[in-house]
Amino acid sequence: MRVLAIDTALGACSACVVERGAAEAIASETIYMERGHAEELVPLIDRVIARVDTRFEGIDRVVVTIGPGSFTGLRIGLSAARAIALGLEVPVVGVSTLSALIAPALTTEAGRVIAAAIDARHGNVYVQAVAPGGRPLMAPRVATIRDAVRALGSGGISLVGPAAPVVASDAFALGLDARVVDAAPAPDIAWVARLGIAADPADAPARPLYLRPADAKPQDNGRLPRQ
Amino acid sequence: MSFAHSPTVLGIETTCDETAAAVVTRDEEGRGRILANEVLSQIAQHAAYGGVVPEIAARAHVESLDLLVARALDRAGIKLRDVDAVAVAAGPGLIGGVMVGLTAAKALALVAGKPLIAVNHLEAHALTARMTDRIAFPYLLLLVSGGHTQLLAVRGVGDFVRLGTTIDDAIGEAFDKTAKMLGLPYPGGPHVEKEAAQGDPARFDLPRPMLARQKPDFSLSGLKTAVRLEAEKLVPLSHTDVADLCAGFQAAIVDVVVDRTRTALRTFRPAAGQAPTALVVAGGVAANEGIRRGLRRLAAEAGLKLVAPPHELCADNGAMIAWAGLERLSLGMIDDLTVAARARWPLDRLAEPSPTGKA
Repeated sequence: MRVLAIDTALGACSACVVERGAAEAIASETIYMERGHAEELVPLIDRVIARVDTRFEGIDRVVVTIGPGSFTGLRIGLSAARAIALGLEVPVVGVSTLSALIAPALTTEAGRVIAAAIDARHGNVYVQAVAPGGRPLMAPRVATIRDAVRALGSGGISLVGPAAPVVASDAFALGLDARVVDAAPAPDIAWVARLGIAADPADAPARPLYLRPADAKPQDNGRLPRQ
Repeated sequence: MSFAHSPTVLGIETTCDETAAAVVTRDEEGRGRILANEVLSQIAQHAAYGGVVPEIAARAHVESLDLLVARALDRAGIKLRDVDAVAVAAGPGLIGGVMVGLTAAKALALVAGKPLIAVNHLEAHALTARMTDRIAFPYLLLLVSGGHTQLLAVRGVGDFVRLGTTIDDAIGEAFDKTAKMLGLPYPGGPHVEKEAAQGDPARFDLPRPMLARQKPDFSLSGLKTAVRLEAEKLVPLSHTDVADLCAGFQAAIVDVVVDRTRTALRTFRPAAGQAPTALVVAGGVAANEGIRRGLRRLAAEAGLKLVAPPHELCADNGAMIAWAGLERLSLGMIDDLTVAARARWPLDRLAEPSPTGKA
């Protein structure tokens, strides 16, 4: 199986084409950026595809990060991925940013809790953790940094993700054995592709994972009383 | 670019609270034919908030756009590879939603190996009359919606002169705010119109702002305030009060629209170099029958044809985007994949920015 993977949910605009089981991507490009994903993404996919002999032909699946992350960013990736899948008439699967951040650490951080953290503003993080052996410890959620640290237990903690350093400093303050494994601004796109290859399309819909409701309040002010 | 005598374009619209996709083709005589026109309204999701919430709109667009595109292609009986171009509204509008549509359109264009056409949503409204009635340039356009109120001389594709605009609220916005104050559901336009039909337009003495001004601009906020002041004297409002206030409000709007459009007809010739071929009304508020009647009278008085597209083509839709795409494609006006979404995108680049950004 060959997949096209896309990520614009965090601090990068990335795409790659990966063949199942292959160590290296056939083509891959990542540009780290805070904003501007919308203008960058499709031309970037165009460049990546141009480096694949058969271009879109032979792509069996599209993989995309669904968040948590920037609401606008994850929608850009999802819009592109779902449109490409529609055009190619192939399935599209979603991979969470937190899972993609954790995945590479699963082999290197044996025996420790692995937690991925992404800044969610105002002292909050999007966080997910797995216990030693890969068993789920904390499902993806938004939490204060303090609550996140408390939920990670008292054993060794390996932290990944753009907010790993801030979580680590809180953990140090509590005297925990915490270390930052990787604080890259976005997941490795090749790992997004691998998780997408492993996913079952029925269980991994390409739908946004915001973890937060839209910021909106019902407006009733200004309404005059009626009989 | 290889297209036969009947180019076919996929059109995508996500600038506000309708997610839409359509397939339109143009025959040898230049007539537009809508092969599919799929629209999913988000009204129910915004109703509780009394207006469109940008984040909710963007969330809804990304969930359903690809399904609508698939359904439109299906209804049209074609595959993506059969279209000659992918057209998309790249603005003006709520930027989060525009980005969803634009990104999807770019991706579809890339996969299909077909040109992308970034359409101005307002231009699409402006050109709809050419799809439905094949009218020639130049014509006078009254563009009235929840976000826009403008009088434009349409001289050609991408060639507009703004004759007048609102200095405060858009007309559709005034309808919505009036409806909300009177306890009518969102969106307000159709509900105010329904109430107005049962009311007495003469019961309240409401102002006609800007009437007889030399420049065909609009001002709606004073009218809205006047409705509020009258209404506050009557609370709690009876059903008759609400109907009469709606009737008075709509009558004032119609008077203002007719007067401002009449003024625009006078300023048209200097702006366009010749008389208009028609008077065209477009945008969601163009569905209002009171406004249509007023404009029909004015058109008859001016010896002009009034072109008012059917209701489903007045509201936001994908067919108008596809048609604008066809018009631009035939002129070789295509865009590359780096084109950016635009929250603001005035049709007349030389006009002063509108005071509120709501033009």
